[in-house]
Amino acid sequence: MHASRVRGTVNGVAVDRDVPNRLTLAEFLRDELGLTGTKVSCELEVCGVCTVLVDGRPVSACTFLAVDIDGADVLTVEGLERDGELHPVQEAFIDEFAFQCGYCTPGFLMMSVALLARNPAPSADEIKEYLDGNICRCTGYRPIVQAVLTAAERLRAGAASGTEEARDAREAREASDAG
Amino acid sequence: MLPDFRLVRPTTLEEALAQIGEDALPYAGGTELFIAMRGRLLQPGTLVDLKRVRGLADIRVDDGWLVVGAAATHDAVAGSEAVREHAPLLADVAPGVGNPRVRAAGTVGGNLCFAEPKSDVVTALVALGAELTLASAEGTRTVPAAEFHRGPYWTVREDRELLTEIRIPPAPDRRGVYVKFQTRERPTVGVALVTDGGSGACRLVVGAVGEVPVSLEFPSLGAVDPAAAAEAVDPVADLTESVEYKRHVTAVMAARAKERLEEAVAGAR
Repeated sequence: MHASRVRGTVNGVAVDRDVPNRLTLAEFLRDELGLTGTKVSCELEVCGVCTVLVDGRPVSACTFLAVDIDGADVLTVEGLERDGELHPVQEAFIDEFAFQCGYCTPGFLMMSVALLARNPAPSADEIKEYLDGNICRCTGYRPIVQAVLTAAERLRAGAASGTEEARDAREAREASDAG
Repeated sequence: MLPDFRLVRPTTLEEALAQIGEDALPYAGGTELFIAMRGRLLQPGTLVDLKRVRGLADIRVDDGWLVVGAAATHDAVAGSEAVREHAPLLADVAPGVGNPRVRAAGTVGGNLCFAEPKSDVVTALVALGAELTLASAEGTRTVPAAEFHRGPYWTVREDRELLTEIRIPPAPDRRGVYVKFQTRERPTVGVALVTDGGSGACRLVVGAVGEVPVSLEFPSLGAVDPAAAAEAVDPVADLTESVEYKRHVTAVMAARAKERLEEAVAGAR
């Protein structure tokens, strides 16, 4: 079996190893690195569950060669949380009930992160258009669109007032929700 | 899992051309190729990665011509100032190709060479009168976009040739619109309508309904005849609908394209 050298990072961790040419990025992440948060479904780039970011660009890992991450930084759903804190997009998906079985969720999260990186204040229509290539078969799309709107708002508030204050605001909100 | 293959990564066009052949396929985004390979429709012994070939993804203006490197992604085309200025029709079409993941990895050259009959890009390029540069170790030749596709998944490109550039002729007063009807992953019909601005002559191109795009010429925008377009197409019945339906939607979309171009021309006056 033919292989090529891959030097890059996955979720900030350096990767330097020979990888079979035929391996897809999804197979590499799941089977070689044990990062099973990235799912596989249609294998036609239509459903979006295998979305990961390669140098910030969303790609379908089911149809992307693992050897093509050579020299690149890869971000998967496992890389979203920081110091035990979920990413604001993940928090918003929880708060808005934007998933049910959860199989499509990693893909929606990664697409949402990619969208908000290029457009911090998307309209609902822009969100729908960007997520057009992602399929959910249980929750429905409204809470997902709402979650992205909520995440965008919180991220903007965080950027405007500093992350500490955004965290305080979130904790205050959680306390009031609990009460 | 994909079938096994050897991988080469040339950095110059000469190296790439020395490698490409019947059993050594060029690839860049792989958005179509790997699906075909997984289904064992293609099992090349070697893949030639074009992403490291210098200059192949460049977008530039050359003596008034817009030159899009074959390895430029749909995202790159959508975001290019040069494309927006010299061929806004193409800049309008690029953000509607596939989905954001396909646009991030997929390339214009790959789209053309894979010859998917429902390609939006091909329809737009035929309407713009684009010319395609094919290079091989023996030399280069130019093929009009309108003559590049022989049928579904079948082009005039020879095994040892590489599509290197898409060249769009200058036309400062050119205006164009692209209208498509799509309810699934791929369009039912895509209509491009372009007027050169000088004589007022129009070219109407209908893609996606049949095996290859169909092109019609009209002496003026007023003469554009949606019924003639519906008559001229040769639809193929498939998941995106029946022959009769596709003819009907062709006329509807051609009429909308005409309306939109009339508005655009009126707005420019």
